[in-house]
Amino acid sequence: MKGEGSFLVEDFINAITTQLDRVQDALRLKAVNRPLTYALKDIALDLQVFVEVDAQGNVRFRSSAANETGASTLRLGFTTITRPMIEENTISLAMTQSPHLEDLGLAEDEKRRLEQVGVRNAAQLQELRNSTDTKTVSRLTGIPLERLRNALSLGKPKVDQVVPEKPPATVPPVKPVRPLPSPLPKNPPVALPPTKVPPVFVPPKTPAPVVVAPGVKRLSLLGNNLVGGQGLPEVRLNDVPLSITEAEHDYLTVEMPEEPESGALEIFLPDGEQVTYQLSFEPETPAADGGDQESIGRSRWEASGKEEDYWSSDPDY
Amino acid sequence: MFQRELAQTLIELIEGLQPPPDSGLVVTEAEIELPLESAGAIHGEELIFLADVPHSRWKAGFLPPVAMGKLRVLLDED
Repeated sequence: MKGEGSFLVEDFINAITTQLDRVQDALRLKAVNRPLTYALKDIALDLQVFVEVDAQGNVRFRSSAANETGASTLRLGFTTITRPMIEENTISLAMTQSPHLEDLGLAEDEKRRLEQVGVRNAAQLQELRNSTDTKTVSRLTGIPLERLRNALSLGKPKVDQVVPEKPPATVPPVKPVRPLPSPLPKNPPVALPPTKVPPVFVPPKTPAPVVVAPGVKRLSLLGNNLVGGQGLPEVRLNDVPLSITEAEHDYLTVEMPEEPESGALEIFLPDGEQVTYQLSFEPETPAADGGDQESIGRSRWEASGKEEDYWSSDPDY
Repeated sequence: MFQRELAQTLIELIEGLQPPPDSGLVVTEAEIELPLESAGAIHGEELIFLADVPHSRWKAGFLPPVAMGKLRVLLDED
């Protein structure tokens, strides 16, 4: 926004829109206590501005000052539109949640060149690639193919981890804390010969199995770019679709079925990729040792009211 | 030079559309053309659009240029 009294076009228009929204809000508030009120239907402004282009290639407006000649007349018209018109003429909210171009490792000038073809975030870049191809996008924007491929791979939806939500809390018995053993006597440092680490076979990276405690109601799927223009991922457990309760670009929460069973947890990402986890349940742990027996024993051996009566000194007994 | 925001100017203008009480008249629609002295100002990090009616009907070299604004106001019947 900074620039010697000049402003970006979008900031300029936003500033006017904010003012008009405030007018509508104030008039709407007046309607609460007044039988008649007005609504601002449309407004047109003829503004005297100087149009400049800054070093980054952004067009900026500067309001004409007193006694300045040669200003351009900028005629702006604003009108009220209905909600369906807004929905028709704006990008979906899901699209706006996608990561920005700078998060994809693109430089400032590359970002600007993409913005000139209507791409402002990862989801829009992916959509443009789907409708044409990476080579065409590269040719149109002048961004090297390799840079675009890197950005596209960073902007791809992915799931890194599946985390079960904690089951309803049950308070575990508190164990007494053992005193720590006394520290070992310090040995003098001994020079060890350098050990050679043998080469280890690293298996290809596969998703880790997910172990879930019994009673878990939801699973959180952590990742990136999970919400985009192509819709939400589809999650299935043993081929049964799980309902998504929360969705953000970096996590999803899915509801577990009433009686879940171990099996394949499949995640179908919007770009067609599929990730599969092996979901299993922890065995149910039995109650703490002797817990129940102890309580039974206690009820048996505790002095009851009747026993007290037996030894009572009541003469009527 | 002036600090009035466009919203404040417009709200006061629309407020002025009320006919005299007990006159039995209702203004249902108004089209207003008015000159505005406008400028942008930064308050904090935000760009604020300032617009006010002209200081004077006379032209002077030290006054900001006047832009024309045209607005249409309707009776809200919701």
